[in-house]
Amino acid sequence: MKVPFRGDFLSRLAVVLLISLLLLGFVGPSLPVGDPAAIAFGPRLSPPAPGWLMGTDNLGRTMLPRVLQGIRITFVLAATPVLITSVLAVVIGMLAGYLGGWFDELVARLADVLFAFPSLLLGLILVAIMGPGVRGITAAIILITLPLMVRVVRATTLTIASRDYVAASRVSGASLARLLLVHLLPNIAGAVVVQATFTISVSMLIESGLSFLGIGVQPPVASLGSLVQNGSVYLVQAPWLALAPGVFLALAIFAVNLLGDGLRDRLDPLEAHGLK
Amino acid sequence: MGYLGYLRFAMERLASAILTLLGVSILVFTAIHLIPGSYEAVMLGPQAPEAARERLREKYGLDDPLPQQYMRWLLAFLGGDMGIALCRSQQSIGQQACENADQAPIIAEFARRAPATIQLAFMAAAIANLVGIPLGILAGLSAGSRTVRGSSRAISALGMGIPSFVLGTLFVYVFSVHDLGLTVGGYVPLSEDPEANLRAMVLPAITLSIFGTALFARTTRDAVLTVLAEPFIMAAVARGESPRQIVRRHVLRNAAIPVVTVSAVNMGYLLGGAAIAELLFSVPGFGWYVLAAIHKRDYAVVQAGVLVAAVAFVAVNLLADLAYAIIDPRTIRRGRG
Repeated sequence: MKVPFRGDFLSRLAVVLLISLLLLGFVGPSLPVGDPAAIAFGPRLSPPAPGWLMGTDNLGRTMLPRVLQGIRITFVLAATPVLITSVLAVVIGMLAGYLGGWFDELVARLADVLFAFPSLLLGLILVAIMGPGVRGITAAIILITLPLMVRVVRATTLTIASRDYVAASRVSGASLARLLLVHLLPNIAGAVVVQATFTISVSMLIESGLSFLGIGVQPPVASLGSLVQNGSVYLVQAPWLALAPGVFLALAIFAVNLLGDGLRDRLDPLEAHGLK
Repeated sequence: MGYLGYLRFAMERLASAILTLLGVSILVFTAIHLIPGSYEAVMLGPQAPEAARERLREKYGLDDPLPQQYMRWLLAFLGGDMGIALCRSQQSIGQQACENADQAPIIAEFARRAPATIQLAFMAAAIANLVGIPLGILAGLSAGSRTVRGSSRAISALGMGIPSFVLGTLFVYVFSVHDLGLTVGGYVPLSEDPEANLRAMVLPAITLSIFGTALFARTTRDAVLTVLAEPFIMAAVARGESPRQIVRRHVLRNAAIPVVTVSAVNMGYLLGGAAIAELLFSVPGFGWYVLAAIHKRDYAVVQAGVLVAAVAFVAVNLLADLAYAIIDPRTIRRGRG
């Protein structure tokens, strides 16, 4: 079997970290770690102790399973919009890059407009329209991450579309669908995967930021960002409430960023060395 | 490509920036109208008699077609009239309703709060520049070493990965439990007491700067590496220039170009992203005000705030584009990528 990321310690660290976090988030809550919703599971605001390894909150709920659930929610809420963004960006970006003309101009303009919003404010205003909660955040993340992703796909498409084999295929009568799916898509896939990985870290930052501001996920659902917010009220008496989920959140984004670097070096070597 | 060429380029960029802002204003206007709940219901409460609603709609022309309302709003905005805030004082975020006392013009409130946000953004930008760029140069020049390569990659992944509110929360905890000379909260305007002001502003500025610092370090490192691979560096080595000369004359000068662009993007991000740092450290700035307005459903403030932030962002980017074209005249010929 080929060993992934041979000789690349940091990328391997990232993979190990991510697998551990995913296991903690998806398998952890079903281990005997206590009921996350049980009020007065332990004393109120207790520091970490054998029965409640991450302490308890102001309602006496044990934090460990809440943080584990938070990890899962954070990953799900980051990955779902990125999946949608990637699909949309591939379709729009390839068509804009390949067809050019008014469609390309329109796409570039719309991307400029969306780019001109500070991302946090764009998120806030979308959440104001859609209402706080999962739907609002998902829409916000998609709209914030779409323009950059479209630009990357479009730029990569432009580079590939000017290659001889694409021209050869076109003059020999290949259909638009065939050109896009067979000749362009496989060649831009690397750049898309790399960009999508970085986008996951961006969307984790947006989701946790909005949740920290209280307009992201709503109770009883809790992501790492909203856990930090809940905990920050009791910061001085019970610092673990805010700092434990904060550390896991930072670790998750750190690992995703490192993985993105590693993937970029492998899948998109031109971009990695600034030669594009 | 003389003076005229540059002028043409500048006009094109200006036109494109204005077009972008028009798009933004349409989007903001539409978005606000999509928010559930009518203006009359917000102003008069749900049980208001129909006659009162009618009067209000009449007064503000709310029955006019939307394009007409948009034009009126835009023209007023351009004339400096951003409307009236529903709430007078927006200090606490948690409080949902607001006392409907003296309604303040939004622009006055923005003007009162802008200095704190601008100071915060400039301090954060200064920290990001002063820390990030030297780190990036160092990392780029010593990229031959595996340890340096690895550690600079890890540090930038961490710097771009730690959410500002997590770092800020950590600061709030450490500095409110221990007395380390810097204060958490207790903002005083710079003009009143510079020392107390700095004590209160250093922590939010560092909190806000962390992403930019990592971004600068990374961009500078990549730029240095790209320049080092250029043939003219080898030519300079062959001419026998000293490494110090090469770095100063060729590497830094050429690596400056991408750094200017990132600098603009970062400034825009700082102006819009200051809200979280302001909230955590009780800095009475622009971002905090807009944030509180969202919680209180004071959409006139939100609308104006988003548009002002977008104008600032587009303006900073426009300036960067113009500066960029002076540093590197080739951009004018290349046009938009």
